[in-house]
Amino acid sequence: MPRKKSEPSTKSEQDTWREDASKLSYEEALQALDVLLGQLQDDSIPLAELQRNHARASIYLDRCDLLLSQVEQSVRQLDPNTMEGRTLDPSNHE
Amino acid sequence: MSAESIPTYSVRELNNAIGVLLERGFAPRFVIQATASRPQVKKGHLWLTLSDGEASITAVAWASKLKQLDFVPADGDGVTVIGKLNFWSARASLAVQVLDIRPSLTTVLRRFETVKAQLLEEGIIDPSRRRTLPPYPKRIAVLTSVPSSALADMLRTAEERWPLSELVVVPIPVQGDVAPIICGVLSRLAQQHQQLGLDAIVIARGGGSREDLMVFDDADVCRSLATFPLPVVTGIGHEDDLTVADLVADHRTATPTAAMVTLMPSKESARQTIIQRRNRLSESKRWRLEQASARLKDRQLLVQALRPAVGVQRRRDQWQQRQQLLCALSPQRWLNRGFAMLNTTKGHPLQSVYDISPNQQVQIRLKDGVIQAVAKTIQADATSDAKASL
Repeated sequence: MPRKKSEPSTKSEQDTWREDASKLSYEEALQALDVLLGQLQDDSIPLAELQRNHARASIYLDRCDLLLSQVEQSVRQLDPNTMEGRTLDPSNHE
Repeated sequence: MSAESIPTYSVRELNNAIGVLLERGFAPRFVIQATASRPQVKKGHLWLTLSDGEASITAVAWASKLKQLDFVPADGDGVTVIGKLNFWSARASLAVQVLDIRPSLTTVLRRFETVKAQLLEEGIIDPSRRRTLPPYPKRIAVLTSVPSSALADMLRTAEERWPLSELVVVPIPVQGDVAPIICGVLSRLAQQHQQLGLDAIVIARGGGSREDLMVFDDADVCRSLATFPLPVVTGIGHEDDLTVADLVADHRTATPTAAMVTLMPSKESARQTIIQRRNRLSESKRWRLEQASARLKDRQLLVQALRPAVGVQRRRDQWQQRQQLLCALSPQRWLNRGFAMLNTTKGHPLQSVYDISPNQQVQIRLKDGVIQAVAKTIQADATSDAKASL
């Protein structure tokens, strides 16, 4: 087994994971999380990977949490003839 | 009646008098429920006959009004007309001037059934064509009237339910003779849905009378919805309203608000999901460590059991068990209890009187020593098998 895998995850590695996670949608982050959860419960994964997988799964969880705390919806209105859009104020549509 | 008491008119005076009478004695506006027959446009004006089976009257929608009407009846359509009387005194002719005309409910329902049957035959209405809705749509197009209370309700619901989805509002007219406009918008949207990154569309209209929803029974609008490249959700009218568009959509909901609820996941249940996953994550780590620890303990016990000293001790224990068994089976046990053993002088055990002859020397083995003796006489038992064999 490569030695690198058994070492505790470095800060830069976690930063990379965080950066990757920040690009994911809620659904993608949830899927990535579920894959890691499956691996964590799988005996075939070496114990040395446990801490790394756990740390990475936590990052995906935090990403989902962050997205759920988003309250403002993006609303655009398209011109029905050109399909070109402009951002709308969602509170002013009635 | 004398000739002096009878009023005398010229034709023009008579017609004028009728006109004045009608003007004074008739409501400036009225409503007529009727069947429209032989509608035809002449010089830009729509002429038709309104009848109820027992009587009929001519009606006209002037060209300027005709442009503003949402609905133009076909021959035989039931209609509700808001009108006023037009009287031409020159010819004493009378017509209902149409101020507004709407299809009657029977007309709407008849058209619904006709289009439904047509699209069923074409295979456009087919439950097996329905596609599943995306579980977490990233971008949704909302086709409805702008501004409208339906849109305001939908935006409010969307924000409460799933603010992560982006909404793209595409204004469309939702009432009247606007099917070609809706078809045009659907066509342009279908061409550009990938560039716009859409996952689904909602076509919605707030409540109103069933007659107001007639455009959603239009065959071309329904074909455009059925062949749209993305899942389509309808939210048209009230709970009880069913249009042909609802039948061709991938998912029909009762109201515009319900359309957003159906298409968007719930923020609250997603929160619960995240809490469950967090628990599962910490549980899984603990479980894996416990598993590893238990496995290690098993190995430790195994290593302990396989030590050389433990092996020697186990063999010693086995030897002792066999020794005890051998002891338990030894003839000495019988001698100790008072029995004796007879052997020949050569040490062969004597088992029968026929194994020895008179005056032959024998050894008698007791628990604590040996007696040398001589067999004086030998007498076999009467029932002896050996004797019988002789």
